[in-house]
Amino acid sequence: MRTKLLLIALVLTGTLQGAAPLARTARGGHSADEVRRVAALIDEQIAAGWQRAAVSPAELADDATFLRRASLDIVGKIPPVHDVRRFLADRSPEKRLRAIEQLLESPSYANHFTAIWLELLLPEAQADFQKRYLLISMHRWLRKNFAENQPYDKMVRELLTLPMTSNNGRGQYFNIYDENGPISPMGYYMAKQGKPEDLAASVGRTFLGVRLECAQCHDHPFGKWTREEFWSQAAFFAGLKGPQNENFFAQPLNEVSDRRELLIPNTERVAQARFLDGKQPKWRFKVGARSTLAEWMTARDNPFFARAIVNRMWEHFFGVGIVDPVDDLVDSNPPSHPELLDLLAQEFVAHDYDLKFLIRAITASRAYQLSSVQSGPEVDPRLFARRAMKGLTANQLFDSLCMATGHRDLTSLMQRYVNFGSTTPRSRFQELFAEQERKIEYHSSIPQALTMMNHQLIADQTHPDRGEVLGAIVASDFMSNSGKIEALFLAALSRKPTAAEADRFLKYVERGGATGNQKQALADVFWALLNSSEFKFNH
Amino acid sequence: MTTPRLSRRDWLKLASAGVVSYSMAPWFSQLADAAAPNPKRKRACILLWMNGGASQLETFDCKPGHRNGGPIKEIATSVPGLKISEFLPKLAQQMHHLTVIRSMATKEGDHTRAAYHLRTGYLPTGSIQYPTLGSLVAKELGNEEAALPNFVSIAAAPFLSPGVYSSGFLGPEYSPLMIGNQGYWFGNTGNYANMLKVQDLLPPKEIAETQVAARLELVKQMQGEFAARRPGMSSASQQAAYQRAVRLMRTAASKAFDLDEEKDSLRDAYGRNLFGQGCLLARRLIERGVPFVEVTHSGSNNVGIGWDTHENNFEQVRQNCATLDPAWATLLTDLKERGLLDTTTIIWMGEFGRTPIINSQRGRDHYPNAWTTVIGGGGVKGGLQYGKTSRDGSKVEENPVNVQNFIATVVQALGIDHTKQNMSNVGRPIRIADAGSKPIQEVLA
Repeated sequence: MRTKLLLIALVLTGTLQGAAPLARTARGGHSADEVRRVAALIDEQIAAGWQRAAVSPAELADDATFLRRASLDIVGKIPPVHDVRRFLADRSPEKRLRAIEQLLESPSYANHFTAIWLELLLPEAQADFQKRYLLISMHRWLRKNFAENQPYDKMVRELLTLPMTSNNGRGQYFNIYDENGPISPMGYYMAKQGKPEDLAASVGRTFLGVRLECAQCHDHPFGKWTREEFWSQAAFFAGLKGPQNENFFAQPLNEVSDRRELLIPNTERVAQARFLDGKQPKWRFKVGARSTLAEWMTARDNPFFARAIVNRMWEHFFGVGIVDPVDDLVDSNPPSHPELLDLLAQEFVAHDYDLKFLIRAITASRAYQLSSVQSGPEVDPRLFARRAMKGLTANQLFDSLCMATGHRDLTSLMQRYVNFGSTTPRSRFQELFAEQERKIEYHSSIPQALTMMNHQLIADQTHPDRGEVLGAIVASDFMSNSGKIEALFLAALSRKPTAAEADRFLKYVERGGATGNQKQALADVFWALLNSSEFKFNH
Repeated sequence: MTTPRLSRRDWLKLASAGVVSYSMAPWFSQLADAAAPNPKRKRACILLWMNGGASQLETFDCKPGHRNGGPIKEIATSVPGLKISEFLPKLAQQMHHLTVIRSMATKEGDHTRAAYHLRTGYLPTGSIQYPTLGSLVAKELGNEEAALPNFVSIAAAPFLSPGVYSSGFLGPEYSPLMIGNQGYWFGNTGNYANMLKVQDLLPPKEIAETQVAARLELVKQMQGEFAARRPGMSSASQQAAYQRAVRLMRTAASKAFDLDEEKDSLRDAYGRNLFGQGCLLARRLIERGVPFVEVTHSGSNNVGIGWDTHENNFEQVRQNCATLDPAWATLLTDLKERGLLDTTTIIWMGEFGRTPIINSQRGRDHYPNAWTTVIGGGGVKGGLQYGKTSRDGSKVEENPVNVQNFIATVVQALGIDHTKQNMSNVGRPIRIADAGSKPIQEVLA
């Protein structure tokens, strides 16, 4: 026990510095110069927008804010204390670029983006506990793709062209319960029960940035898409045959792969598979309808595909899309920066759909690195003149709590996703901090606040003996009270206290807080930091 | 000193106009029993949710003399000509407050999908997160400043369909405070007193009151500084949530959850079990201005979906009714005595009914085609029977009621316009009750 505490304490104070190299050159044939070039293009476009609107941008965020922001955005949690200390001490002008590289190399990068894409691809699992089982296999498939940095077009092609039938022509058997089985995105099709209309709606929304489903039942009054177009898109999935019994989802699907027409429900009309840009597919011998769709979608000149993903990634990092909402790329909902959207799409394609390159370029831009502090009058967030503040997702919040306090989450994938009849701390947070549509307008609730104040995990981790990180700091006799307060700030908020804060909290601790006990007073400080707004936002 | 009654929206407006700073928000004020009734409240709603789908044939639509009816008998009620099951003798004396809708005709026979349909008014679709009824009502009738949440869900069993307890696209401000939803799976009824506590309501016992106050003071200062530098909806909402949570934690508002304040005789009348005491808690919350409370009845053993009587239906329903009957009947008389019944609409429903045909295990299976719901109290005529099923119970013969019309009726009874639209998470406005719905005028008061 004593050694463990000492070790944590050493790491917290940064005494064990210097072993891990921070510097890593950019991989994948993209030089740092390429990253800087595209980042400069972004900044040129954004600055032009400021000029047009006659606004002046916020200043650059300080180092600590930058590192916390990039960590939350890329690996889904706040940085460990020793990384913050090292980063703040680093004098190299390249250190922000190198920090991004380090984050992209972390296994947590794949975990974070897997969690985000699971919600995009399987929203059904929110409402239907049976479909939660599908999250496990989809998690494995997504994680593999992100961990290997699979080119985005390749990943989507694999999803869209997944064979439904095995060699003997029968439906493919797929064991969704097997945590070690073959890695396949079959769960995506099973969640939609093989229904052409559900697949068309999801593919349109997720990969093409268009909301087709509003046109499912009738031509939408303001929308661009007609009912005919919706069903023509659905017709690419017309060959799929859903399970016999709708109420039991875990059954194999079948497909007649060259079927490509569908009867529009309650009409006599038949919709033929047709691309959304109005082009007629060129059908080829033995090439299925879904493969033909995938070829068109991932062609370099597709007008939707690359724009949709760069816009979605932009929204991930900035909280607001260039087109916002991100799944509504229609003329009536124009982009805030049309040239920027085109340019990012071109660069993304030119760099072989490399998601990590896109992240490097966006995060290297000055626009991304601006402060969130409001100095002048409020301006339209779509000018990106200051950094908009985003609420943390449930997973970001929980993983950050683990990082800050030393709590270890040992739940398996099965417990995390299916969670049948038990309540883990993570599931409690997932229940309370559900995803919100507008990240930059984040609503908070009473139960959320109660949980952050009084949950057993918080109670344990803010107890001077039971808390992992807190306990280590409290027990580190070689640190002064100021040093301990600084360590608590670094652990919870990933920054050092300001002079005023340092002074205020030192006085509080020295007089022993409300209890006359300095250990308890340190616990109070840690509790307050974890309950501060600053902890719960990516600012 | 009194707290200015400003909504968060008002604060935002004032703050953006530079009139006040965010740090001036009435933070952590220790005054006032904030649980005092909200004078603005016109109506409230209690939903009694029968998890698993209660049998209409052993409750409100008996078929004596037909082989589908099984062995049970009908009894007379306080309403001439209205008969209900012998399992509900106490409720029989209160039927003049209630309207029985015997002609529910819905489409879904799967627990998850049907619960979603009845509780949101919509069928699940992939991308739209429909809010549950309680959230819709909380948004319309709730008070943003109240110390108590505007939607409380008691004894929920959400594992089958977590989405049906969600505030969906309305956001977390309208999500329920869930009480007693743990331990549902293994039937921990004995410990109901402990289950009916608000989770995380109180700080750990080892933290003294003065220490809590000191901690809150530290947080308050940090929140204020942060919000001053980054003003906007997000930081204001965060402050407001803490402010309300702290008031709930520290003021008499949390007394609402202290059932020991009630007389023993009344507690006995409700029934000393999770559902009975849950109904008593519902009354205490309604009395203090909470506009929507739901109490889930998961069967006599509280095993999750206890009304799902595929086997041994008659004995199971009899046992379930033994806790349902006293709780519901006492709830009605208690509300009446306190002058709250005229403004409180009561709904009794589950996700579907049961098959008229008795299966080989003497059970009844899922049946959405012809089943029963009950509404009563505020905004609803009492003592009415609406709709009718065939002699064998298999078909609706008069006035079929679908889900959207049912929801429209309930909402209208609460004085809410059922055609009102809320903006959804897919950027499309969604009506409270689905397009084309019509409230059943005959049952509305």
